[in-house]
Amino acid sequence: MSLPRKVIAPPLPGPGNRQASAAVRGGAFVFVSGLTAVDPATGAAIRGTTALETQRILENLKLILEAAGSSLARVVKVNVLMHSMLEAPNMNEIYARFFPEPPPARTVCGAHLPHGAKVMLECTALAPDDR
Amino acid sequence: MAREVIAAPLPGLDLRRHYGHFQSPAVRAGGLIFCSGMIPVDPRTGERLHGTLTSEAHVIFGNLKLLLEAAGSSLDRLVQVHALIYDSIEYDVLNRVYRQYVANGPPARTVWSAQIEAGFKVQLDVVAAA
Repeated sequence: MSLPRKVIAPPLPGPGNRQASAAVRGGAFVFVSGLTAVDPATGAAIRGTTALETQRILENLKLILEAAGSSLARVVKVNVLMHSMLEAPNMNEIYARFFPEPPPARTVCGAHLPHGAKVMLECTALAPDDR
Repeated sequence: MAREVIAAPLPGLDLRRHYGHFQSPAVRAGGLIFCSGMIPVDPRTGERLHGTLTSEAHVIFGNLKLLLEAAGSSLDRLVQVHALIYDSIEYDVLNRVYRQYVANGPPARTVWSAQIEAGFKVQLDVVAAA
């Protein structure tokens, strides 16, 4: 038996990234690439405070998940990479506004991120039931 | 198919309650259990137990065993482990503890160095079969 594997067409008109799809459906799950903050209209990088970048990433994540037929409420696991763990509370405060109760499992760690990004967020969500 | 949140089996393992982390201890979905990043806290009180990488890893594995068993799984059913350590120089130290807990048919694993919350030396991020 082979499970479905399907690239999710990007919902954002930005240039995207030839090396990675924003999200891929595999079996019962949707796997979302590590997202940094971009303008959803142009794909241009947005650099600001941790709070601002987190807000933009989660708004874009919502669009990507919905394009896959999933949603923030179906997220099972999030990994957040931050330029500094001292900023974790600033990320956490914005993060808590986006996910309904009860929140997904999550791991947060500090890492060196590309192009001066302060936050990167990847996640795994349940795919829609209908396929 | 739905997702099901696994509650903390002991009060100390509820990191949201103690530290405000907006996360559930673990979530079961699609036949798998996804655990939040495990840090060395006292499972009864939530107190942070800083120590050597070895002592921190022993506490984490003890807590992970409690959490997985509360979810109907176990350390024997680990599928994938991300082991974050504060400095890759401790790789061999991690392994000496690690193999005491995952003796036979160990799970897939990736180890890398990262900045871990509260100055801890190790954090485990795992997926297990439900």
